[in-house]
Amino acid sequence: MKILIADDSRVMRQIVTRTLRQAGFGDHDLVEAADGQQAFDNAVAEKPDLVISDWNMPEMTGIEVLRKLRAAGNDVKFGFVTSECTPEMQQAAEAAGSAFFIVKPFTAERFDEVFSPILG
Amino acid sequence: MSEPVVTEGDLAEMAEQVWVSYLDPEGISPLVPHGDVKQLSEVHSTVSITGSWHGHLVFASSQNAARKAAAAFLAMEPDEVAQEDISDVLGELANIVGGNVKAMLPAGCFLSLPTVVLAPDTASYYPAAERISGLYGIWDGEPVSISMWQSVKAEASA
Repeated sequence: MKILIADDSRVMRQIVTRTLRQAGFGDHDLVEAADGQQAFDNAVAEKPDLVISDWNMPEMTGIEVLRKLRAAGNDVKFGFVTSECTPEMQQAAEAAGSAFFIVKPFTAERFDEVFSPILG
Repeated sequence: MSEPVVTEGDLAEMAEQVWVSYLDPEGISPLVPHGDVKQLSEVHSTVSITGSWHGHLVFASSQNAARKAAAAFLAMEPDEVAQEDISDVLGELANIVGGNVKAMLPAGCFLSLPTVVLAPDTASYYPAAERISGLYGIWDGEPVSISMWQSVKAEASA
């Protein structure tokens, strides 16, 4: 499977990558995006099977990326890895079609719990 | 004075999560608070909160602590870390704690992207804001602090 990791922090993209590996999902193709616009563009161009996105990014927020993808008829599995975790954000994410919500800081165990049903 | 919306104890809990997850996963060098608010820093990062609550979350440390944090985040040796990585990690530390702080504030708050300043936290001045709580301590021999600043005007109108 192909996974798109969108986060404006290069270090956080590396940590997501490393945590995926630690959780046993190291064999998938990984592509990255460094802001919301790139996330949208790569979600369209790279046709990933899964998008793991930060919420607060330059150009477009993660929720805006998700809404724009859905508005364009793109049904890619999409969820958030974010430091922000208010109930209204989780509700907004779910309403927009988000499949998961992981709060930073996160552990490999949390990744395993969330991604096992998705990545197998 | 009533208890601040985010206390030193709350900041300590959030810091502990960050340390356990990224900076000290083996539990051998935790952040040890000492409460010295005059502790000197060399670098800092800030996220601002607006909306139903106005203020700032500031992460400050020595240059060495920031380098060690970047090394821990990246699973590298401290001398392999680039300046760009240090700035990135400083911003991410403020972002992670700021995001968790936001969950404790009234609904309807917005978090800014982080600002990183490679100078002491006294180099940034927050007009009309005052510190409401702070966690000051030593990590692996290096100074680290996390402080909350609230807009005085917002507090007065609350």
